[in-house]
Amino acid sequence: MTTIRSSLAVAVPAELRSAVDGLLLSMADDEFVIGFSDSEWTGIAPILEEDVAMSSLAQDELGHAAALYELIAALRDREGLDADAIAYDREPHQYRHARLLDHGRGDWAMTIARRYLYDTADGVRLEALAGSSLAPLRELVDKIRREERYHVMHATAWLERLAARRGEPRDRLIAALEELGPDASTVFAPLNGESALVEGGVLAEPMAALEARWRAAITPVFVRLELPMPADVLDPAHGRTLHGDPFRWLWTEFTSVRRLDPVATW
Amino acid sequence: MTDQLPLDRDAAAEAGPPLEAWEVFRREKEGDPMRHGGSVMAPDAVLAMHYAREMFGRRQESVRLWIVRRADILDLDDPDLLQPPLDRSFKKPGGYVMRGKLAIARERSGQSKPKPKPDRPRARVPGPAEPRTNGPKS
Repeated sequence: MTTIRSSLAVAVPAELRSAVDGLLLSMADDEFVIGFSDSEWTGIAPILEEDVAMSSLAQDELGHAAALYELIAALRDREGLDADAIAYDREPHQYRHARLLDHGRGDWAMTIARRYLYDTADGVRLEALAGSSLAPLRELVDKIRREERYHVMHATAWLERLAARRGEPRDRLIAALEELGPDASTVFAPLNGESALVEGGVLAEPMAALEARWRAAITPVFVRLELPMPADVLDPAHGRTLHGDPFRWLWTEFTSVRRLDPVATW
Repeated sequence: MTDQLPLDRDAAAEAGPPLEAWEVFRREKEGDPMRHGGSVMAPDAVLAMHYAREMFGRRQESVRLWIVRRADILDLDDPDLLQPPLDRSFKKPGGYVMRGKLAIARERSGQSKPKPKPDRPRARVPGPAEPRTNGPKS
């Protein structure tokens, strides 16, 4: 812990610190929110095996979020600030996850559509960090990518099955894709200090370029399955702010125990 | 949100392709044999692989899995082939008493009886249950 803290505080030049903080927070909040959304399936997934699978995926995401919050705590390097404080002790409007993850759990098709859109986008983002100049982030991304590979396999398997089954499964999937589509590319909403991140070698390419890569990667799948491609994002500048009521509800849920006794030792 | 979706597991299962059983074998660490771990229900091979991975590998407890459709397993439980009624004790090595012959051979070669190795406690390994009807006659 001490080594991560000191190495990260040294590794990030002062002028990049706020941009790196914003990047890490956007990634951590994405993983945190999708993890909690998916954990709502625990106990009620379509079959027992899928229940275990979805719960396990949700735990993976929370694990990634925890590791990223640790990096942020190390970067901020302030006395008494730990990952839990960053994860839980904020108001809903201070979270920086993509609006794609703001639609509530929805039905199974909605969950699969969201997982597929997010996991593929996250994959492109992680690839752009695989050669990051920031060693602690690069090392973490290397580990996260190995788990995310499985997540994409799982989401793709389900996307294909729902798409291939005419009638209710396909209808529900298309409805979900149409609802989520305009928010899908909020994963690539512009970040503060993005050009500095690219120049500093933290991030390989600007978010707009990553979005183009992501669209190119998923187009063959959408064409093959005859599904509607995600529309362009309506309000990219607010892609990670202005969270609505479904997130406020989720926030109330995931902070409920923490708020009971904020200074408790777990 | 929680109250949005009334979900009926049975209805969801009926609507899709039928589930079938897949047997999962796992290797705990390199060098170990594949051992039967249990089974999962899945509608096809890809999801069977996913579910086997979640049930038997998500805690890094396996280095390899074999996933086999239960219907593809050649199942043999015919008692005439496996548990024939006649005495088969003469097919067991227990029928040959070696202790005396070994002692004579040792004496002849001048070797003493090997001592049990103290670093490897001789744990009793449970073998297949002895069929009682065909056991050695007392």
